[in-house]
Amino acid sequence: MSEPLIRFEQVAKRYPGGVHALEEIDLQLTAGEMVFLTGHSGAGKSTLLKLVALLERPSRGRVLFAGRNVGQLSRRHIPGLRRRIGIVFQDHALLAERRVFDNVALPLVIAGTAFPEIRRRVRAALDQVGLLDKERVYPGMLSAGQQQRVGVARAIVARPSLLLADEPTGNLDPALSAELMRLFMRLNEQGMTILIASHDLTLIRRLGRRVLVLDKGRLIDDVSAAQVGA
Amino acid sequence: MSRPRKRSTASLLVPAWLRSWARRHAYSFLSSLGSISRQPLASFMTIAMLAITLSLPAGLYVTLDNIGRAGHGWERLDSISIFMDESQGREKAIQLASLVSTWPTVSAVDLISPEKGMAELAGRLQLDDVAGEIASNPLPWVLEVTLAAGEDVRLVATRLEDVEGVDQVIVDLQWLDRLQAIVALLRKMAALLAVLFALAVMFVIGNTVRMEINNRHQEIRVLALIGATDGFVRRPFLYSGLWYGLAGGVLAWLLTELGLLLLAGPVERLSASYAGTFALSSLPAGVVALFAGGSGLLGIIGAWLVVERHLKSIHPE
Repeated sequence: MSEPLIRFEQVAKRYPGGVHALEEIDLQLTAGEMVFLTGHSGAGKSTLLKLVALLERPSRGRVLFAGRNVGQLSRRHIPGLRRRIGIVFQDHALLAERRVFDNVALPLVIAGTAFPEIRRRVRAALDQVGLLDKERVYPGMLSAGQQQRVGVARAIVARPSLLLADEPTGNLDPALSAELMRLFMRLNEQGMTILIASHDLTLIRRLGRRVLVLDKGRLIDDVSAAQVGA
Repeated sequence: MSRPRKRSTASLLVPAWLRSWARRHAYSFLSSLGSISRQPLASFMTIAMLAITLSLPAGLYVTLDNIGRAGHGWERLDSISIFMDESQGREKAIQLASLVSTWPTVSAVDLISPEKGMAELAGRLQLDDVAGEIASNPLPWVLEVTLAAGEDVRLVATRLEDVEGVDQVIVDLQWLDRLQAIVALLRKMAALLAVLFALAVMFVIGNTVRMEINNRHQEIRVLALIGATDGFVRRPFLYSGLWYGLAGGVLAWLLTELGLLLLAGPVERLSASYAGTFALSSLPAGVVALFAGGSGLLGIIGAWLVVERHLKSIHPE
């Protein structure tokens, strides 16, 4: 059995003020999996994603990314690990005053990639999300679905080992949601590990992938792909 | 089958990490210039404020430098008055004048007879009638000694005091001593002011960068989320601080030069009225470089302090 890409061991997260966001979470994600994380609002989905994305540190327990305990990483080591994770945000988090090309290029610019390589990889990523003809426009000139796809292009352009998506279909109509999910499936088929937080159960059931169910900060169910499909 | 891509000579000679580092710096460099040029009016106002702030210590420095240079000239213009003993007559006075004029430290000796001295005194005091009524002239023979350039007036005066037939040697250096004391005091004040203005420059640039951070808050958040290091986030702001500091320093220098240009004519006319040839001098090139570089460095420090504070706020505890 291959080494898990992500492992949570008795993880708890409490925010200042005593809010218990997560309690006793044990889980693991194997490289190449596509997993959905679901639950009601406030169940702890976003907190769990933030712990994986190194945006938060656990209050208790251990979060391991590729075997490294992220809770013990110093501030200067976090960016390097974070560059191995692509994040798709619900609000797209695109920079309005930069063109689509420049938004997608950001992770490569941060990595100090040469411009010809940036151009090649940004175009490849935009082609993958079907927006190659939009590279010169500003995000504000795109529809919500297109903006979300730009966000996906930016998340995958540096070829991360893990893709996180927080409610990626939250602002999209059913047709666009389905299109985005097909894109995630394609990326997963190419070997990318994907963790998607979503409360769209219809969509999750249709895709037949492993589902983690959170409720009040606790992992109450871990449904395998086979069980979902059944 | 795809062909392997050709690698340039530079890519073979320069290590990959160094090329990546240079590219990230190039990005920060251009990003900082872009953010300054996107707000030309606000940027200009900041630079103008810095220039005015910096031109005050620069102006004070150049003023003191010029006073110091002028002071050397005034020292040379000082003459020594030698009052002969009353018992010494014309022959002895001429003899002494001949002797002193051979000294290499002396450039000229003027002999003033008691009659000429009385006439000058009466003229100054407007007592022409009274002078004619005095039966015997109480004034001694006087020698006005002008020193050669660069000679120490005090040393020559001491030597003259030991010459036979000399009653009194008068050197009025008190006004020069006072001037030098005032200049020394002003130099201390200038140093103190320079520290205060340096702090002001740091705060002005820090505040400007803080506003820039507020404007680019979303960008910083996104950069941090997708794996930018603190250095990558910090660098464009440090460059901005450097540009503001450098531009403020250079503009302050130009303002100082403009001030000198405006004052050059009147100062030269004043100097000429005292038979001098004094001319204002500009800030030396080394001082200009130090000045601009120093203000650039202050800009970097100001920006660093503000960015660091912001970075701490966006990191998980």
